[in-house]
Amino acid sequence: MSRVAIVGLGHSKFGRRTDVDVAELAFESIKQAIDDAGVDKKDIKNVVVGSAGGWYEESLPAVIVNEYAGLTSVGTMRVEAACASGSAAVKTAYNSIVSGEGDIAMAVGVEKMTEVDTLTSVELIGRAGSYMWEFENYGMTFPAYYALYAVAHMDKFGTTEEDMGRVAVKAHHYGAMNPLAQFQKEVTLEKVLSSQVVSWPLKLYDACPLTDGSATVVLASEEVAKKLTDTPIWIRGVGYSSDSANLSKRDDYVGLAASVEAARRAYEAAKVTPRDIDVATCHDCFTIAELMAYEDLGFCKKGEAAAMIREGQTEVGGRIPVNLDGGLKAKGHPIGATGVSMMVEISKQLRGEAGNHQAPIRNGVGLVHNVGGTGHYAYVSILSRN
Amino acid sequence: MSLRFDIPIARTHQFWDALRVGKFVTTKCKACGNVSFPPQGDCPNCMSSDHEWVDLGTDATLVTYTFVQITPASFVKNDPYMIAIGKLSSGLKVLAWLEGGKVENVKIGERMHLEARASEEGNPYYVFVRS
Ligand SMILES: [Zn+2]
Repeated sequence: MSRVAIVGLGHSKFGRRTDVDVAELAFESIKQAIDDAGVDKKDIKNVVVGSAGGWYEESLPAVIVNEYAGLTSVGTMRVEAACASGSAAVKTAYNSIVSGEGDIAMAVGVEKMTEVDTLTSVELIGRAGSYMWEFENYGMTFPAYYALYAVAHMDKFGTTEEDMGRVAVKAHHYGAMNPLAQFQKEVTLEKVLSSQVVSWPLKLYDACPLTDGSATVVLASEEVAKKLTDTPIWIRGVGYSSDSANLSKRDDYVGLAASVEAARRAYEAAKVTPRDIDVATCHDCFTIAELMAYEDLGFCKKGEAAAMIREGQTEVGGRIPVNLDGGLKAKGHPIGATGVSMMVEISKQLRGEAGNHQAPIRNGVGLVHNVGGTGHYAYVSILSRN
Repeated sequence: MSLRFDIPIARTHQFWDALRVGKFVTTKCKACGNVSFPPQGDCPNCMSSDHEWVDLGTDATLVTYTFVQITPASFVKNDPYMIAIGKLSSGLKVLAWLEGGKVENVKIGERMHLEARASEEGNPYYVFVRS
């Protein structure tokens, strides 16, 4: 099969972006990515836009975004895989090159979540499951979904609120180094633990914020990528899977089956093991989600995630540094943009361009883990320098 | 603009009708015997649409829970609520509000049971009650 590389990276400032509309926000990362790739935009055959939508005014974000950037007449679509929409967009753009539709494609992730009031946003995310059976009568929220997992994980493995808090402290530590992050301030464990309870045992500082943001990657076929750049970042393998809409149909609540299966497929496709991974982004929409990801991705054995965070194994200098851009927790989580933002971060790490938060790169292999909803979707992408 | 959805329940109204009189039923596939919850007219196992309604049972053990303190827009008038997933003796699981006592006293594995309730508008719903 022909190989596909990431050859251009773009990333907007994440945060409460009342200064731009959705097209202007997407343009920020699109322009950077096209400039970084050094391509002529008329050579871009397909543009795939990842956006969950519903909280901003446009119903057809793909064409709005494309028109504003002068990309009319491209092959395009909006794709949705909840919070994994960005990874789905990259995979779809990748597929267009592998299938021979063109040598250059672009994946844009964009979301504007703060144009509606906060509790409406909370509701729209809370409906990301089974509306009829878990929202209509019971008002499930996104924190509540993950809290159900946190309680079960604490009960089975002795994971504590402090362990979850340590994930937030780490995220804010690295977020403070990222000028594009929504929160650029260190927090203490005491502050995390004393923050307002959102859905017990999860507190405000266990949760990612509502965010506006965009991120873009330009992809190219092997032949074109080698002409464009000396540092192509190859998409070595992508695995993706899914699970039931109703949480009540899951076997257990101590890990995400979709992540486990997506990881297995990705490792197999890329012919790597968890031991080969130099650096990773894990989907930390809540602190418990990052801990479960360590286990689901095989970074440690089931039940050992708390030990991993306590020992600093996922910081720079540890076994597998995770979320050195601040993660969803501190960088922010603009739903459709997140997966693409993760690709940008891992590509920078593998290029050696991550500056003050650069991880040591030994094998030249990085991992992007992007979950949609509460493990309703999961995407694992393996990127590499060669 | 305000959006309201009229969700068809023509094929699962038996569940809600039973609930109005305090009973719990669900679908069982006549072709393969698979029992579903939530109820569904088409079998997700063998894809047959030939089904009957059977007793769901109400006794459950608590699998996991949470206490929702920041509630979504449609629930701002509600007091904070506990949500639990319970496992019925059939092995099927149900998600619902949990009534009875404080979150500090709730324990995974404890016994509870389903009870029918009616909303202010008279719509039926169900809750877990600690036994
Ligand atoms: Zn059947």
